[in-house]
Amino acid sequence: MALDDEPRLGCGRSIDRIWTTIDQPLNAHEQTCRQCQAARAQLKRLNEATQALREADLHDEALTPRSGVKTAIMDVARAEIRRSKRILLASNGNGTTEISEQALSSVIRAAAAEVPGIHARRCHIEISSATSDSSVDDPPSGQSGVIGPHLVIGLRSAVAPDINIPRTVQLLRQRIITAIPAGIGISAGTINITVEDLYDV
Amino acid sequence: MEDYGSGFEAEPGLDEGSIVARAQDGDLRAFEHLVNSYQGRLFRLAYRMLNDRGDAEDVVQEALTASWRGLARLQDVQAFGGWVYRLATNRCLDVLRKRSTRTEHITDPQDILSISTDGAGSDQLSDPAYAAERTARDDGLTAVLNTLPPEQRACWLLREMHGRSYAEIGATLKISPTAVRGRLARARIQIAEGMNEWR
Repeated sequence: MALDDEPRLGCGRSIDRIWTTIDQPLNAHEQTCRQCQAARAQLKRLNEATQALREADLHDEALTPRSGVKTAIMDVARAEIRRSKRILLASNGNGTTEISEQALSSVIRAAAAEVPGIHARRCHIEISSATSDSSVDDPPSGQSGVIGPHLVIGLRSAVAPDINIPRTVQLLRQRIITAIPAGIGISAGTINITVEDLYDV
Repeated sequence: MEDYGSGFEAEPGLDEGSIVARAQDGDLRAFEHLVNSYQGRLFRLAYRMLNDRGDAEDVVQEALTASWRGLARLQDVQAFGGWVYRLATNRCLDVLRKRSTRTEHITDPQDILSISTDGAGSDQLSDPAYAAERTARDDGLTAVLNTLPPEQRACWLLREMHGRSYAEIGATLKISPTAVRGRLARARIQIAEGMNEWR
């Protein structure tokens, strides 16, 4: 049915074909067929009008929404933001110290931004239960959590085409291993990095 | 969390898929970047569908708010653009359906008058200089465009003004890519003939 559905001129020519070959010279049939010539002339005018309208709309200041529209969208987004998970950094008799997964993720993404050819995407952080028990002890000599919980970071990423993926990923891992103690004061733990996509440069 | 306004200056070359992924993690700056990137395009689509600024702004707001709410369920980050276009197109079609049922139920001539001035067909961009700048050719095209059935108009706008793919348009209108092709060809010849008459 789909093929029969294709709109045609009285001479049998597909209108879609005339449209897609509009910039090409007339073929033998079209040189003699009045219907084809008329349709072609009409579609040519439409093509020009279409391009002109597209350009005009694109650059028309009046064809943009008021700033209030974006404000309203962002207000809803902010009001309905999913509270990210809290990660326990330390706990002792005086209370607990937690950090949000989102704050930790932003440290990781900032580290990733320094590595060319790789873009950090979604980031999930868990605490490994096998080792987290030892982390709740008060750190010796009053230092504020240089060991901390054992983090398991799952970072998804996209890379530029034509890069050395193992080397780039290892470089990213090293940056994260440096950035987390520097920025937060705990060690980075396990860092699992998945390359899920190639991005266009 | 108030400083989401600064955008992505720190990482200017970030690809859209990565920005979508970060928005999925609840990053408001990333989501704001997407709003900046899509609100104008969606407004132009909605305005050409509805010919009414206020209705077009409502569509943009509803579509992008819905995208924030549904973001976590989006499997493929590359599909974000097609998805928000779909949300906006379907809202436009809903608005037009509501308008047509409203028109059918109207008996008071005063109401009919108000519908015909705020409905499809008339030009509502309030700036008079804007209207003067537009060439007669643009006006001819948009006048004929407004005579097409809503789904065909959507099909034409998505392809010709916004460069969306046949597959994506088909998914939006729940028809096959081949049917999109056919509908477009019909729309083109109809518009071309209409423009002839218009002049």
